[in-house]
Amino acid sequence: MKEKTYWQSLEEYGADRDSLAEQKGREFPENHVSESLSTTRRDFLKMLGLGFTAGALSGCEMPVQKALPYLNKPEELTPGEASYYATTCAGCEAGCGLLVKQRDGRPIKIEGNPEHPLSRGGTCAVGQATVLSIYNSARLSSPLKDGHTLDLNTLDTDVIAGLKKATAEGKEIVLLSGPLSSPSAKKLISEWQTLYPTTRHIAFAPLSVDAIREAYRLGRGKRILPSYRFDKAALTVSLDADFLGTWISPVEFARQYADARRLSGKSEMSRHIQFETGMSLTGSNADRRVPVAPSERPLVALRLLEILTKRPSKLPTLPETVERALADTAAELLSHRGRSLVVSGSHQVEEQLAVLTLNEWLGSHGKTIDLATPSLQRESNDAEFAALLSKMEKGSVGALVIWGANPVYAAKNGPAFAEAMKKVELTIRLGLTLDETARSSRYVVPTSHFLESWSDASPKVGLYAIAQPLIMPILKTRSAEESLLRFMDRRDDYDDYLKAYWQDAIFPKQRGHADFTSFWNAALQNGFWQSGETDSLPSPQTAGVAIEAPLVNAYTAGKTARDSGDLELALYSKVGLRDGTWADNPWLQELPDPVSKVTWANYAAISPNTAAARGLEHGDIVSVKTANAAISLPVFVQPGQAGNTVSIAVGYGRSCGNQAYGQNAYPLSGASSVSIEKTGERYAFATTQMHGSMEGRPILIEATLADYRNNPKSGHPEFPEPETLWTPHELPGHSWGMAIDLSSCVGCGACTIACQAENNVPVVGEDEMRRNREMHWIRIDRYYSENPENPEVAFQPMLCQHCENAPCETVCPVLATVHSSEGLNQQVYNRCVGTRYCANNCPYKVRRFNWFNYAKDEILDDSLAHMVLNPDVSVRSRGVMEKCSMCAQRIQAGKTVAKREGRDLKDGDIKMACEQSCPADAIVFGDMNDPESRVSKQMKDPRLYQVLEEIGTRPAVRYLSKVRNT
Amino acid sequence: MDDFSHRNRRCVRARAKQLGKSLMTLIILFAAFGSASCNYHEIFYSQNYSPDQPIAFSHKLHAGTHQMNCLYCHFGAEKSRHAGIPPNNVCLNCHRIVKTSSPEVQKIQQAEKDGKPIEWVRIHNLPDYALFNHSRHVSSGVTCQTCHGPVETMDKVRQVSPLSMGWCIDCHRQKGIGAPNNPSDRAPTGTDCVSCHY
Repeated sequence: MKEKTYWQSLEEYGADRDSLAEQKGREFPENHVSESLSTTRRDFLKMLGLGFTAGALSGCEMPVQKALPYLNKPEELTPGEASYYATTCAGCEAGCGLLVKQRDGRPIKIEGNPEHPLSRGGTCAVGQATVLSIYNSARLSSPLKDGHTLDLNTLDTDVIAGLKKATAEGKEIVLLSGPLSSPSAKKLISEWQTLYPTTRHIAFAPLSVDAIREAYRLGRGKRILPSYRFDKAALTVSLDADFLGTWISPVEFARQYADARRLSGKSEMSRHIQFETGMSLTGSNADRRVPVAPSERPLVALRLLEILTKRPSKLPTLPETVERALADTAAELLSHRGRSLVVSGSHQVEEQLAVLTLNEWLGSHGKTIDLATPSLQRESNDAEFAALLSKMEKGSVGALVIWGANPVYAAKNGPAFAEAMKKVELTIRLGLTLDETARSSRYVVPTSHFLESWSDASPKVGLYAIAQPLIMPILKTRSAEESLLRFMDRRDDYDDYLKAYWQDAIFPKQRGHADFTSFWNAALQNGFWQSGETDSLPSPQTAGVAIEAPLVNAYTAGKTARDSGDLELALYSKVGLRDGTWADNPWLQELPDPVSKVTWANYAAISPNTAAARGLEHGDIVSVKTANAAISLPVFVQPGQAGNTVSIAVGYGRSCGNQAYGQNAYPLSGASSVSIEKTGERYAFATTQMHGSMEGRPILIEATLADYRNNPKSGHPEFPEPETLWTPHELPGHSWGMAIDLSSCVGCGACTIACQAENNVPVVGEDEMRRNREMHWIRIDRYYSENPENPEVAFQPMLCQHCENAPCETVCPVLATVHSSEGLNQQVYNRCVGTRYCANNCPYKVRRFNWFNYAKDEILDDSLAHMVLNPDVSVRSRGVMEKCSMCAQRIQAGKTVAKREGRDLKDGDIKMACEQSCPADAIVFGDMNDPESRVSKQMKDPRLYQVLEEIGTRPAVRYLSKVRNT
Repeated sequence: MDDFSHRNRRCVRARAKQLGKSLMTLIILFAAFGSASCNYHEIFYSQNYSPDQPIAFSHKLHAGTHQMNCLYCHFGAEKSRHAGIPPNNVCLNCHRIVKTSSPEVQKIQQAEKDGKPIEWVRIHNLPDYALFNHSRHVSSGVTCQTCHGPVETMDKVRQVSPLSMGWCIDCHRQKGIGAPNNPSDRAPTGTDCVSCHY
């Protein structure tokens, strides 16, 4: 087998080691003296002497601490003990099931609900991070009218009068929301429409999947979004659908995808081919990835149809590499008929129709595409939203109530929308913060976070989920539905309304419970209820629309643009920020993009060849222009980007906080191509991609499926058993270990945020990120190999490896890092004096140093945000080293429960935060001394290896090598 | 009873303040501590700390004379990390009827009327980086008195043990907690740093 060369960035590709070291700079840059520390060494020593004395003296008097008990303790709450409640995520419109951890009345950590049929215990980074947004100090706490505070009752009276006036005048009232899957909210809207008959409800989603629903309306006679079953597909062909990262229901799809590719105990795995423009998370996991320009992509589906149905080609010929890939893909699809799935992320109805026809021909419907229980997620109506603007401009809209969606920011003509809102007499924004839409609205009502409100959801036909509050609204807020009730001049609470709805509409569908209360309690405890109902199957029909002509025209236009020197534009959303709803969440801003590893910014991604041809360099700021809009963005030279195209992420440039990060790319939407002009300025990316390097060592081990079948240990280098100077540790009780399956890991970064929430990991900010000072305890290393124009990508979660012979332990002068009797490498914060020798000596580069007192620093201090801190984990102060503790608090909690119940620990009692959140179930933790534990079984897998086995550190965290189905 | 109050501690501090602020004085200070035969544990670990409480509650009367179980009020001890100070309503379970004329009991009733909890002075105080779990110890059969001393004999509670790390570890070592193959310990903790520091 040919030896692969891995690289993390283009600078590293082909560079020799010495020059690379120079480029990367030092691992611990010392030239950045912190602004607040202007002391010389001598002064420091003087102060140290003084500090000692003062410390010893003030130590004589302990501060008097008060202990305040509850006046009346709520019965269900035990101070110091966490409780978990099932609810439904509203981080995006997928509606995953959650179990939220509540400590002393505060929600502090989000976990996936293992029983939930969609997410099956997984969560994504966004879902994990939403808990921080409750404690956002920028949240609105009082209602506003024209920017001035007013009483909520006055506002309600004003609004009701305004709505009545609009009804009397016969003007339209528009309820503009984000995609709604809540059946009770839909009922409420229909009641609203009875009261105010001129009302229209419009759901707006910036990156909608409306085209798929429209295609099914045309091709199947029913406006549905089918449920895709990636777990049933032996071959998945995706046309720019980022189904593992952002598309429709990424947590659900990631679990299905990982299940179809899991190798434990079998030698079959599904195959995945991706045609796409930018390098997405999904594309980077593909077995074969074909870069195509956005205008070429629709022809891919059409060409595949032509080849499969053996029709003579009438279509323009695509570039040779694409044509070759098409012929291969068609042959594979043919051999996987009925076991294949084609999906497309396109917003063009014609392309979705072509994909539908292709799936029809392949027999996917009923097998890999479920039409009986279609998805109700992300329901929006693009056409109605587009028509709304002109109606508002004409003055035929009398009242506009907006919640969920943020059209002034996210519509392609946001400023025009804001302008048109002035022509509407009554505009009401129900929102968390004073965002773009709120600033253009007459009335603003502070709205509760989803973890403070009652709601429900029905993400699929036959699946009903409840969203219950975890905390009373911490500010004077109420839920959007509650506001709607008040605007209907009703006094009832939404939880009563919700319960009544469930009693009337959902309870009659079930047989298991005799009375409603027991049914409701069961559904509330589980978080969901499945009715088993199915939709009638729509039959195929002739679409009656021309598919080919518009797609070919678009292709010709795209080609002309490329030939004339413009770049074709592909807008996409990032795994962290998605459509920008949570852009003020610092955890998500600081989550490195899975592929580019950039934080705190968006950029114009351009392929290496295109950049070279245009004299553009990584970090050059360019002006990106369409006919109507222009924004300035730095160039990011992205391996794998299709030639002569540019990919730009939306969701950035939100101007709701003190500072906007990145640029808003929504104004570019609608344009198919852009011109790019160098401004001469430069930008330094806050990126983690060069932090830590393989230095040519076999850190990542991979094989092809064929090689794996011949030899399960294929690709594993052979070493002589490393000599050791140390006597082995005796681990008579437990021996904790972790196995991470690199074949399952999709690199989504949910674990990083889960760990951040669990372990009080601080946010350091954009500037500190540039100085290699990120604090994440678990990072996902992304490695490229082979051709820079279309590299192979591999992900490897990297955390403290808990080495048996840990290099950090031998160099610590104060024994602040020592080995535990259960095989863990312990970091003792209160012993650490901050020499950083351990980080220097760590071959895995997983130790993190607190350069500042992040929790108390002036810039980051936010007493409201401190409410999210986990009281079971110490908050580290300045000058202390930290790293993955293997969730010591979870191990202790597991042992405490076992001890209280007088039993031994069972496998699965203790789950790591990263393991719990992983949507792909790639991480397994457990006791290696228990031969029956899941982790012990994983440790027997022939794919098992230790990173840097040859240096003899003997890690307790081990990996199963990656297998590609190529 | 050896009462070590705030006043005494302030006095030490005032004396020490006069000694200046250099490294030299530190040495002198330690020497002074030594020669004055101060109790090291009293100064650094608040051993014998016995502050006045807002209500002159007597453990001797409740736990001693009336033989009330510790867990009646400190119910968290067997199911949570914190033993907890009883909520107002637990006191009122009895004191709605019992001894309502006592001015001390009336303070509890007043607290309920005001909607403000009693601000007790915390006596047993571990640093934030040490995470101690009551339920773990109670379910292992450690009695309350092992750490808190004979509270049932105290009118005014005092910190009996130093609650220092060495004191914790001593007990763990003597009892062989976490020792290999100790059949009585089904979820051992031992003397690992991460047992308490994480």
